[in-house]
Amino acid sequence: MTTAIQKGNTLHYKGSSFFKQRLILSVLSGKSVRITDIRTRDDIPGLREFEVSLIRLLDKVTNGTLIELNEAGTALYFQPGLLYGGKIDHVCSLQRGIGYYLEALLMLGFFCKQPLYATLQGVTSNNIDPSVDLLKTSMLQTLKKFVIDDEGLDIKICKRGLLPLGGGEIIFRCPVRTKLRPVQFSDSGMVKRIRGTAYALRVSPAMTNRMVEKAKGVLLNFIPDVYITTDQCKGKNAGKSPGFGIHLYAETTNGVIYSAEQVSNVVSNGEEPSIPEDLGTAVAQRLLYEIYLGGVTDSTSQALAILNIALGQKDVSKIVIGPLTEFAIGFLRNLREFFGITFKIEHYENEDDQGGTGGRKVLLTCVGIGYSNISKRTI
Amino acid sequence: MADEPVQPKKSHRERNSGRKAEKKKKKKGNKDEELTDKQRNPKAFAFNSAIRAERRFRRKQDIDTKKQHIPLVDRTPIEPPPILIAVVGPPKVGKTTLINNLIKLFTRSPLTDIKGPVTIVTGKKRRITLIECNNDINSMIDLAKVCDLALLLCDASFGFEMEIFEFLNICQVHGMPRIMGILTHLDMIKNSKTLKTTKKTLKHRFWTEVYPGAKLFYLSGIVHGEYLRNEIKNLGDRYEDLTNLELIRKNPKCDRNISLYGYIRGVPLKKESSIHIAGFGDLRIHDISYLPDPCPLPDEIKKRALVEKEKLVYAPFSGVGGIVYDKDAVYVELGGSHSHNKRNDEDEGDNIVSNLIDTKETLDVKMEHSELQLFTGGKKLTAKDFEEDNPIGTADGSKNLSEDEIDKNINDLKTEVNYKEEQIECDGRIRRKVIFNDDDDDEMSDNSSDDLENDSVDELEDDKIPELEKDNNVHMKIKNVLNELSSKEKNKRNLIIEPESRNGSDSENSSIESAESDSEDEDIKWKDNLAKKAQNAFLDRISCTENLMKMVYSVFDTKEKHVDKTSDHEDDIDELLTKKVTREQEKILLEKDNMDLVESSLMFPWNTATKDWTSEENKELIVNCFVTGKWKDSEDASELLRLDDAEDLDDMNSDLDGDFEDLETGEKHVSTKSDVNAASGEKRKRDEDEVDEEADREALAEKKRKLKEKFNSEYDNTDKNTYYDELKITAEKQAQLNKTVFENMPDDVRVQVEGFRPGMYVRIEFTNVPSEFITNFDPTYPLVLGSLNMGEENIGFVNVKIKKHRWYSKILKTKDPLIISLGWRRFQTIPLYSKLEDNLKFRYLKYTPEHLACNAHFWGPLTPQGTGFLALQTVDSNPEILKKQGFRIAATGSVQELDKSTQIMKKLKLVGALEVAKFEGARIKTVSGIRGQIKKAASKPEGCFRATFEDKILLSDIVFCRTWYKVDVPEFYNPVTTLLLPSDMKNRWKGVRTTGEIKRENDIRNDVNSDHLYLPIVRQEKPFRPLVIPAKLQNALPYRDKPKNNVKSSEKKKNIERVAVIKEPHEQKISSMMKMLKASYQHKQEKMKQETKRRLDKHRAEILAQEQSKERKIKQKKKEVMRKRSKAQLKQEKKSMS
Repeated sequence: MTTAIQKGNTLHYKGSSFFKQRLILSVLSGKSVRITDIRTRDDIPGLREFEVSLIRLLDKVTNGTLIELNEAGTALYFQPGLLYGGKIDHVCSLQRGIGYYLEALLMLGFFCKQPLYATLQGVTSNNIDPSVDLLKTSMLQTLKKFVIDDEGLDIKICKRGLLPLGGGEIIFRCPVRTKLRPVQFSDSGMVKRIRGTAYALRVSPAMTNRMVEKAKGVLLNFIPDVYITTDQCKGKNAGKSPGFGIHLYAETTNGVIYSAEQVSNVVSNGEEPSIPEDLGTAVAQRLLYEIYLGGVTDSTSQALAILNIALGQKDVSKIVIGPLTEFAIGFLRNLREFFGITFKIEHYENEDDQGGTGGRKVLLTCVGIGYSNISKRTI
Repeated sequence: MADEPVQPKKSHRERNSGRKAEKKKKKKGNKDEELTDKQRNPKAFAFNSAIRAERRFRRKQDIDTKKQHIPLVDRTPIEPPPILIAVVGPPKVGKTTLINNLIKLFTRSPLTDIKGPVTIVTGKKRRITLIECNNDINSMIDLAKVCDLALLLCDASFGFEMEIFEFLNICQVHGMPRIMGILTHLDMIKNSKTLKTTKKTLKHRFWTEVYPGAKLFYLSGIVHGEYLRNEIKNLGDRYEDLTNLELIRKNPKCDRNISLYGYIRGVPLKKESSIHIAGFGDLRIHDISYLPDPCPLPDEIKKRALVEKEKLVYAPFSGVGGIVYDKDAVYVELGGSHSHNKRNDEDEGDNIVSNLIDTKETLDVKMEHSELQLFTGGKKLTAKDFEEDNPIGTADGSKNLSEDEIDKNINDLKTEVNYKEEQIECDGRIRRKVIFNDDDDDEMSDNSSDDLENDSVDELEDDKIPELEKDNNVHMKIKNVLNELSSKEKNKRNLIIEPESRNGSDSENSSIESAESDSEDEDIKWKDNLAKKAQNAFLDRISCTENLMKMVYSVFDTKEKHVDKTSDHEDDIDELLTKKVTREQEKILLEKDNMDLVESSLMFPWNTATKDWTSEENKELIVNCFVTGKWKDSEDASELLRLDDAEDLDDMNSDLDGDFEDLETGEKHVSTKSDVNAASGEKRKRDEDEVDEEADREALAEKKRKLKEKFNSEYDNTDKNTYYDELKITAEKQAQLNKTVFENMPDDVRVQVEGFRPGMYVRIEFTNVPSEFITNFDPTYPLVLGSLNMGEENIGFVNVKIKKHRWYSKILKTKDPLIISLGWRRFQTIPLYSKLEDNLKFRYLKYTPEHLACNAHFWGPLTPQGTGFLALQTVDSNPEILKKQGFRIAATGSVQELDKSTQIMKKLKLVGALEVAKFEGARIKTVSGIRGQIKKAASKPEGCFRATFEDKILLSDIVFCRTWYKVDVPEFYNPVTTLLLPSDMKNRWKGVRTTGEIKRENDIRNDVNSDHLYLPIVRQEKPFRPLVIPAKLQNALPYRDKPKNNVKSSEKKKNIERVAVIKEPHEQKISSMMKMLKASYQHKQEKMKQETKRRLDKHRAEILAQEQSKERKIKQKKKEVMRKRSKAQLKQEKKSMS
């Protein structure tokens, strides 16, 4: 990761690392960003299709955004406008999942002028992005903690679509809020139930049952309350490519949700076909790993939680999360550059810890910057 | 009689016994019982109507709810900044005198010449800052935004002046401070009665403006140029606190790079935030650091009253203030009264002052403007008296001092302080300035090993410094310092890397630290291969890194600082270039690895393998994360039950010690007791056991007690806990948390996390400030630094609700420039007025309505919704203009919406031929409301088009096409930069003029457009077609309504064309004869008529005359008769009399 050089109200970066974070923070903070040397050493220099698609999406959500790209696509100047929201249709790039784009909208949605109603099309789950199911369960759950009234905050999966051709479609609705509230969460509670969905698109419905059986086999060692639904999509709802996958989530007594998922390999890309049983075991193991990491948010939604406590009122917020991911660390650094906010980060010492409660946790403390929605209209 | 002494009357004696006394007692006794109304008359309060009860309940709830306000988190700091008191009033009203007197009251040392703010300690926990507001509306606006208390001075002999009301209105817009009024010049009113009435009228006027009961003080007169002490005292004792926003005072340092000093007020200030200096513009903080308070509160609060010595004054521009220590310089006030140095640290002060006095002759450098003297140079003092080791340096003019003195000083110097030199050019003279390389760089080196190593390095390096300095070779010195710097950096980096590499995780590709240690060539792709390794490395890192903050943030600090440092000296040092280049190359190489990483919020891709959690040792790690595992003691049901049982047992045991007996447990207890008594040999062992038991029991009891308390508190509060109470409690908790959470952190870390809290005295550095700011600096103008929130430094379209001030004489015209004070800013912009229609469209307005609010759009800084603003047409306080203007505040309002585009539509009236093709698809409407749409322009007759309507329209219908034209708001934003103007021009700021003004000045007159003139409206009469009733209908009509034939025939007759009759000559003769005869006859008749009339008139007149004469005669006769009669009567009476 490179550090920013600030010139006036513009931040200068080199390289495409944390591209999404920087653009999101730029939109929120109103500071312009200039990114140069994007993949200059790569065989195909410049911005990738998925990044261009992200820029397009941000342009649709905002009003008055100024984007300048050089011819090779290796340098970008992004001057953000005001968040507008409203009804948006966007066809996401197939290189990344819908989750990549939807995560950005989750971070921006509350601060729009009009309630967001976004229809995104593309790949609903792949290996490198959080799937839409995950966003729907754990990320939305995280987001709900920061507003008093979460009416109208919703993700609807209309169609599923897998690589290579995609064809999935989701609808994201988000209300407009003026301010976020400060939170103090330290106790994540204990896992009380495990739920999930196994889906099979354009393949035999038996796949789902095979995955479910194996996953349950692992999880029942820990807790009896495991219930996994199967979703056999038909016709248009199954997208354009064959494949299958499974998504599990564990809910705790304090309403924290940990998610894990697996998706089958893409055979047409020359990968070996996945075996449903393997996926079933893997997803259960991965879920247990998430539970091991613990915290009041999922490891995937750490950055979202960090953003929301940073943008809160000028009050102290505290959350306990699992070990920081690379994404979260990058986010903390970028937050410091964009908003000048520094978190107090320390290991969480729990006094009545009797072992067996997972890994070491991290306590994040910060004073919010008192961000308020400047787009919203007051009467 | 009166002289006799009055005998005293016998006084009344109450009866103590007897019937009367009893009666009275009874009466009294009844009263004493104090029955409530309800008790006395229970029937009146009986429940008799459910509806009324419901209404009563509802009413009570309504009243209760109305009283409630949303609870806010209390953000007042523990040690508040001085209360800012602004003294406001028109000129010649006695502001300066008042301040002088107040200062004298509190400190007993009058200041001769007051410029700028004066801070004084007035109590054990209270400081105040007094600022005089000059008679400039800019200053008034700036001060109204920051002051906590405004003293409004008014000349009572004159009455209220416009300035007072202007200031009050400014305050209302920008957040009301506490306001106190002061009437001066009361001695000018000689008559005591007028004095009384004046006081009264002024008081009531003041109350209507502020609030009824607002404090108003009376200062009667001046004795020896001072107000009466007692009156001042009344004023000084009264104060109320109110938190407001940030203000920072200033001391200038040098041309173009300036540093400002002051207290932080309001909310914590972040280092990275932007700052707006009112009257100047936006700046980015280059550096900010906190300093020891120049006017601190007394430490000990044991004493009852404040000791004289602790009553400090700090007035940087007024000749008092003593010495200010900075991180790189010392400022000493040497104004007219430098003997007023009242700092507590006497030794140090003496030392420095004496030093200064020694060197005073050698330099006669006056600082640019204020009475400050800045000394920069070589000699240093050690930080022996400072708790925090803030390096201090003092100064001398450098060149005149002998070299051995320098040496001596340097030898005295303790070795922690290392410094470098910076050359500052000011006023054409080159000065050298010592900048200490203080230990900020080391803040991240928390590890003790780090410190050790660093220290040793420091010492090594520092030993070299004096030697080198003997040569007085500047270049060498710089080089050395930089060497040291770089070596230190390197050292540090190594240290950072070391612990990581020790853990054997050389594949921490994702962490920056490891990336540094890794060779650059190693191709790292997170996605491809190393996922598993990454996972391990990640876990290792998580488990081993002790200081997470360091892991996340500090690496970057080093780098940043390093870059800064090197770039600072880029120009000066050639030798270092090579070194620098290599290092930069290194840096670039290692950055390149991290430049284009794949970005995903996942920890690692889904398809990476994980541990097998079903294996026993792994299972152990997470088994208690599930509800099936072991619960916490405070939550575990079985544990709680056990505790409950234990408690019961305890109770029973204790019961048994009394007289009670219980069959089951009692037996046990008794047996143990007897055992103890009997077997004394075992006693000791028993005791030990008992001690254990006792301890257990105590622990249990403790737990139990806590739980019980928790339960009780929850249980007791259930009935009271309304939603509002909950909100209040959470707000209180939050406030408590805010205050306590960072309490124990060291200040340097704390300011990073929390920001610089209010009450801190800070120094803020800015770079690239125009020199006018310094050269035209005037301490009497307040300098307010306001920090900007996120996005507030951006510019866009601001939509505000605006209302012309009712006292402003004119209405405002669209696109006339206005000066707006919004947020911290004052700027000139061009607003466009509009009205929000019912369909949420903004309709363009040419003028603001007279008494209504409307909308205005302008191009300006984005400021959060709900912020109040006020508008002026000019800030020029030229008396000529002032005289014309009257009340200066043109409009007030608040921000509604911010956007990057506007949609203001002007209703358009188009006259003449239009190209209809451009309007295809436009909506059209007839007068009667039939809607339609233009479909297509017809080719042939010009302007014809095909349209559809929802209903049949008539040929005579008028069809309208409503057209709207989008009006653009001019993108004009011009900050009012009064601080950059020379001091005599400061209140003469001029911006863009209105077209009207320009035209007036150049005597340009518009040609009248003939279309704009009003002409009489000429309307053609519409010819209506005659009403034709179809024959069929006519037949069906009743006779009454049928058209009548004869009527028609008469009509017809009129219309019949007559045939001309041509007469024969004979006939003609006859007819002419007849005509003549007729004419003569008529003439005769006429004549006769007139004659008759004349005759008649004459006749009537005659008759009238006759009548009159007759009457006269009768009257006379009557008279005579009456006379005779009365005479006769008299005679008769006489006769009878006689």
